[in-house]
Amino acid sequence: MSRARPINCIIPPYILDRLLDSEDSEVRQAALDTLLVTARLRGERAVRASFAGAAAPGNGRRTVFDCEQVESLPNAVLARPEDGPEVADPSVNRAFDALGLTRDFYKEVLQRNSVDGRGMRLDGYVHFGFQVNNAFWDGRQMLFGDGDGRKFKNLTGSLEVIAHELTHGVTDHTSEFEYHNQSGALNESMSDVFGSLVKQWSLKQTAEEADWLIGADVWTPGVGGDALRSMKDPGHAFDNPQFGKDPQPDRMSKFIHLPDTKRGDFGGVHFNSGIPNKAFFLTAARIGGFAWEAAGTIWYESLKASSAEDEFQDFAGTTFQKAGELFGVSSPEQSAVLSAWQEVEVPVRGVPTGVARVRSFASSANGGAGREDGLAALARQIGALNDKVTGLVKDMAALKGTR
Amino acid sequence: MTLETYGGLAAVTNLRRPPKVLDTDALPETATAELAQLLTEAAAVPQEDQAGHARDAMSYTITATAGDRVTVLEQSDAAMTPEFAALLTWLKKHFAQQ
Repeated sequence: MSRARPINCIIPPYILDRLLDSEDSEVRQAALDTLLVTARLRGERAVRASFAGAAAPGNGRRTVFDCEQVESLPNAVLARPEDGPEVADPSVNRAFDALGLTRDFYKEVLQRNSVDGRGMRLDGYVHFGFQVNNAFWDGRQMLFGDGDGRKFKNLTGSLEVIAHELTHGVTDHTSEFEYHNQSGALNESMSDVFGSLVKQWSLKQTAEEADWLIGADVWTPGVGGDALRSMKDPGHAFDNPQFGKDPQPDRMSKFIHLPDTKRGDFGGVHFNSGIPNKAFFLTAARIGGFAWEAAGTIWYESLKASSAEDEFQDFAGTTFQKAGELFGVSSPEQSAVLSAWQEVEVPVRGVPTGVARVRSFASSANGGAGREDGLAALARQIGALNDKVTGLVKDMAALKGTR
Repeated sequence: MTLETYGGLAAVTNLRRPPKVLDTDALPETATAELAQLLTEAAAVPQEDQAGHARDAMSYTITATAGDRVTVLEQSDAAMTPEFAALLTWLKKHFAQQ
């Protein structure tokens, strides 16, 4: 990780990393020369990471390194560069392929050039540490543990997990959702949403066909449960003796309050992400078809338009607004967004409750589409408006009386 | 000595898991000496700055109790000293053999 690279030179290593991505070939060469000299002096292999990317910066070039079961990136061994052939280690190839699929999804579906939108190199480190039951994004690259083989399998085996981690990078370069409390849960939810969409896109699955699971492949067969999380049914991804029952809430009334500490999962960011996750699932299911097309676009545009401290209600409002801009005010897509947030008990600002209720969809048993009867909806809308007019008349009368 | 693991991609599963406990009295003398050395080295090296942009990183707390003396070390995957990593790996390998 760049933070820990013990490279001693006057230019900090993170700046050299940036310079290696420069469009100016002379700048790139100078940065590369500096790193080469430094590496020769120190005899370290950390520079390999820069080498691989420097060969052709941009366009999300992939490089996979092998940590050889040590928690150290500077000593990791180059395992497969972008133009390298398949290797014997399946972990390396799985990470390489998943990085590529995620990059291609962002490029082809959302017209985004890699994590930062400017072709940032994608570096992945496999076999990180001894039996690490985790995969994470360190702010610059992805790291994959091998799992302990008893509860967790090798973390490179799950495409949506890899796409989840890379999406943390995308969020860092867009909304920068702060990683605690509700904004942190949104940060986690964005990673689940696009993690799942990458998988759906790669399998060409419709919203109805998709499993909407996160980490379906991380547990060993001995662990009961479908996955780490279910976007379709938060709170029901697992229930087993090893881990207990999935605690994710699926609506605001079940919001879990935890301390904003490491032990408290920074206010439960991996817990309460169930709420916006469910909202996305409902939106996608109600619109129907491929989730990455309409629902995914609405969420991506909203991610770009959001601010670091936004909470659920802010984001709900942004998705509602974006749905209106993209598909039209009162369009089925915007109505799907509205009803989805309503169902998870997150009100959308600026939408009168009566109108929101009228536009809502009746949920079928499987969470699929099913509009309310049009006539009944219209009658209720008129009723709601009547109530408002009556209230206004009373207010006016009261005001006149006070004069 | 205890090892607590929390956070990470599977944070919801880690939150309620009890710490793993190692009774050093039950270890062979050489292993105890090795562990004590690793603990001393890990405690002597200051923790690196936390990586602010790390997401889904897992954290570890190692607590060593010897009489009235309690040593608590906490680090995360995203900002770990080699000394802490060596101690953590030793403990993980020990528990994996149980």
